[in-house]
Amino acid sequence: MLDQAKTPFEIRDYIRQQLFPHFMCPGCGHGIALRALLWAIHDLGIAKDDLAIVSGIGCSGRIGAYIDANTFHTTHGRPLAFATGLKLARPDLHVIVITGDGDCLAIGGNHLIHACRRNLDITCLMLNNEIYGMTGGQVSPTTSSDRYTTTTPEGNYEPVFDACKLAQGAGAGFVGREMTLQTPSLKKLIQQGIAHPGFSFLEVISDCTEIYGRKNDLGESAEMVLSQKADFRSASYGMIADEVFQPRNVKTGVLYKDDRPEYAQAYRQKIASRAKK
Amino acid sequence: MTTAVKPVKAPNTPPLTIPRPHNVLIVGVGGQGVIMISKVLATLCQEQGFEVKQSEVHGMAKRGGAVFSHVRFGEIVHSPTIPEGEADVLLALEWAEGMRWMPYLRQQSGTFIADTQRIVPPFACRNRTRGARTGYVGETIQTVMEQVENSFALDAMGIAKQLGVVKAANTVLLGALSTALDFPTEAWKSVISKFVPPQTTKVNLLAFDAGREWALGFDRESELRNIKDTRSLHQESTVEAGADYSRVEITEEWCKGCDICVKFCPERCLIMNEKLIVEMAEPELCTGCRMCEWLCPDFAITVHTPNHVPL
Repeated sequence: MLDQAKTPFEIRDYIRQQLFPHFMCPGCGHGIALRALLWAIHDLGIAKDDLAIVSGIGCSGRIGAYIDANTFHTTHGRPLAFATGLKLARPDLHVIVITGDGDCLAIGGNHLIHACRRNLDITCLMLNNEIYGMTGGQVSPTTSSDRYTTTTPEGNYEPVFDACKLAQGAGAGFVGREMTLQTPSLKKLIQQGIAHPGFSFLEVISDCTEIYGRKNDLGESAEMVLSQKADFRSASYGMIADEVFQPRNVKTGVLYKDDRPEYAQAYRQKIASRAKK
Repeated sequence: MTTAVKPVKAPNTPPLTIPRPHNVLIVGVGGQGVIMISKVLATLCQEQGFEVKQSEVHGMAKRGGAVFSHVRFGEIVHSPTIPEGEADVLLALEWAEGMRWMPYLRQQSGTFIADTQRIVPPFACRNRTRGARTGYVGETIQTVMEQVENSFALDAMGIAKQLGVVKAANTVLLGALSTALDFPTEAWKSVISKFVPPQTTKVNLLAFDAGREWALGFDRESELRNIKDTRSLHQESTVEAGADYSRVEITEEWCKGCDICVKFCPERCLIMNEKLIVEMAEPELCTGCRMCEWLCPDFAITVHTPNHVPL
């Protein structure tokens, strides 16, 4: 299914150009994630009419508005709930959910675990920038320890949420993680996620330069993505990479894959067998 | 099976019974099978009752480095290395390596067998602009064939590809080599069967036959004529490829001046201007790697490359 496209990828065919330049801050990694998503959609050869983008609230939620496809801007934390209804009603659509770390893990945490459990054929793209950027820089479940935010003036002392482990534990069919610096790998990961029949949870490591990076003196976007590169290692390295080189021991790439039955299909079969009786 | 083909002796091969050892120099690039060829040849010579000495250098082979192997056999062999200008057969698995070792080939009587495959080494790619000329050897098949009388240039990789296994290219060359040495075909085949993985024995023997057939059916005069015909076409196409360069298109009104493209450009050809908008400073340095396009969060950069190669 991968690589259906015959023409070169032109991003301007997939965005609403009249809304550009977009509202995101200079150097925000969400733009790179948006490019990777559109590139993956192009390479899979999915028509814009067959695509439904559902997004929540926050910086990540605003991404949906810039995509020239069927887009759905929903309430805070609930994009997965809306997407579940959409997918059940229209199983022919490729439903892609764009959500942020706070949107997905804190406010919509319950929706996430149940979407994972049902294993509905949705691709959930969680853009993790470790902060609630749009609402003023509050601490989020993925904020690293000892980082300063407006709600943690003494530094964050809460443990960090591992979203991929949560999704895997809750039963997602496909779990992956990639950072924005590795754009081609991120594109390939999103491609695999969309192609996977079942719930795909993809964590995209993004960077918030203006609100998180500046407050914590992490430098500009280039410095932030380089420090991510130092922190993350491809899962294919396995145990070969030394602990010393994995300060946070965070793996990227395809982390988990399972061919469990897909929910919408199983649901329809059940209904059909009921109708025959 | 067919009966043994009567070995054909190349016209200028010296008789094997003379006390002077017979020298075969095998050169190539790491991973092509130079060592495998020399092992087969050395074992075969040993089985035929000759004294054999073999020495090889494969230092940076795994990094695509050069590999060479000297095989000397005869009644008595003293030194394991071949002196310059004394190789009776020079077998090159890669074109540039063959050119590099050409001084080792014996003048007039030496046989040169080469695969026309080109593996461009990194040091020949100093100019990294897309479509630029590489520093690869300039000698063409034609010039070599005109200078060396016993020269065979074959597309071993292409022959192996037709058989379905690209890795068997070195066995194709072994087949070609077998026509230059006076050993029975069956002996060659039995030694090859010992050295290749059991599941590939059949295809390797087919490759050996294909290489041998190619060398036996080789007609020098017609080959030279063919090369002259295709050469003029080939030259035109290379001139075209060198003329186009990649171009970076910057949408100024979308750029927010985040600096990420300037910091990540591997060739350092972008700068921030006084309005804090990215600008192409040195377009001739751009290789069209698309790093800036991928990392621009505002989609302000589009790279136009002459030949679009999707990842």
